[in-house]
Amino acid sequence: MPQSNFKIIYFSLVIAFICLLFPWSGLALKLRPDFLLITIILWLIRAPNLCNIGTAWLAGLFVDIATGGIFGQYALAYTITAYCAVVYQKRLVLFNHTQQLLYVFFLLIISQVTLLILKAFSGQPLLSWAYFLPSITGVLLWRTAVALGLNTGGRARGT
Amino acid sequence: MALGVHHKLEHQPAPSLFARGPSAFARLIFFATLSFALIATDTRFHYLLGVRQFFITILHPFEIIANLPATIYHNTNEYFSTHNRLLDENTRLKQKTLELGVAIQKLNSLALENKHLRELLQANQRLPVHSIVAEVIHVGRDVFTKKIFVNRGKLHQVVAGEAVVDANGVIGQVTRVFPLSSEVTLVTDKSLAIPVQVERNGLRAIAFGLGRDNAIDLPFLPTNVDVQRGDVLTTSGIDGVYPAGLAVALVIQVDIAPNAPFARIICKPIGGTENHRQVLLVGTPPGTNTEKRSLEDAAINEPLSAKHSSMTPNSIVNQLTTPRQQDASE
Repeated sequence: MPQSNFKIIYFSLVIAFICLLFPWSGLALKLRPDFLLITIILWLIRAPNLCNIGTAWLAGLFVDIATGGIFGQYALAYTITAYCAVVYQKRLVLFNHTQQLLYVFFLLIISQVTLLILKAFSGQPLLSWAYFLPSITGVLLWRTAVALGLNTGGRARGT
Repeated sequence: MALGVHHKLEHQPAPSLFARGPSAFARLIFFATLSFALIATDTRFHYLLGVRQFFITILHPFEIIANLPATIYHNTNEYFSTHNRLLDENTRLKQKTLELGVAIQKLNSLALENKHLRELLQANQRLPVHSIVAEVIHVGRDVFTKKIFVNRGKLHQVVAGEAVVDANGVIGQVTRVFPLSSEVTLVTDKSLAIPVQVERNGLRAIAFGLGRDNAIDLPFLPTNVDVQRGDVLTTSGIDGVYPAGLAVALVIQVDIAPNAPFARIICKPIGGTENHRQVLLVGTPPGTNTEKRSLEDAAINEPLSAKHSSMTPNSIVNQLTTPRQQDASE
């Protein structure tokens, strides 16, 4: 199990990263969920021994390179998000799908708020509420994946 | 089979090793510190440009894979484009060539005349600009900045600082050059400034991107400034980056509040900042003394613009905008 899982994890991370690299533009760019972070959260919950805060940090660094922004912004946002996920990992596994969904939404918002703060410090313009749309589309993506049978470690039975 | 053995060997130690590793909080502190160190290094010392170039080159295959669907779509689209449409385009292009041919004849005589006049004035010759056609690969992925990436880089002799124009006007400036691609900051980005001139009266100012709504701001102009809705802003060429006379923006809104020291002027870029695939990278040839040239240009332009109406705001504007201009050119 661990051997194959390891490959699956990194393969899925690469796929998620390529999804981020698609030439998104206009409305699609505004709605684009953070595929990589969602994949990382999934593996943080499901395989915490193989994917941890360091993985999140490294992935964030790659996003920094891809976006062309200042080095370390996404890395920091991903690190903080991953920490929040890791701290609650044992509880998250016991959550049902709805509870898990809410927590994932919370995590995505944390990453976006961290970025917003960093960007505000570096003098970027503040954006409208539409800035948080990717978190909503991200949660919808998570929900769709769960509905399609992806094992997120959550319990299917009722509360 | 070997995998099976491996799995049995690995399965046991893995959880204990990782679970008893550094605590989550320790990891958070470690990686957060590392991130802050990177942010500080990147913003303050700019050491990481080489590192970034290296990684961008590594990422290039990924970009190609990610762009594959779009590329295939465009290629099949071109393949299946109808006969009629091609004929249509052909006639349109022929007509345009004719029009441009006439324009260029005029331009040749004007260039000659200009040369003579400049010789009479003993001014430096404007050097011919060199240009590279590039195609937009993708729009910047950061929602905070307005950037595009084009498929020409250091290997194609692109230099940072070149102006990027399309058929209608200026759309931005090359800000970073990677081996196979370069980053273009659009005129609507908050960090980009362009020295402009109002076409109607020669008034000089500096335009800044607004950072949102695909708009350009014309800050620090006094309330009595002679700028009207519908005015066209062109590059003044004073900075030595943009060739003079390229259209930049159209004034769409002039708000003058009685209690505000400056007029609030909002403009719309004329170049298609968000809707073109082909752009032209225009650069002044390397090794030209741009500063000297631009100063002389300014001196020559002075008597010309003095004929026009508002000179007093002009000088105020110049005083106001000079420090910002230096800032922006860094």
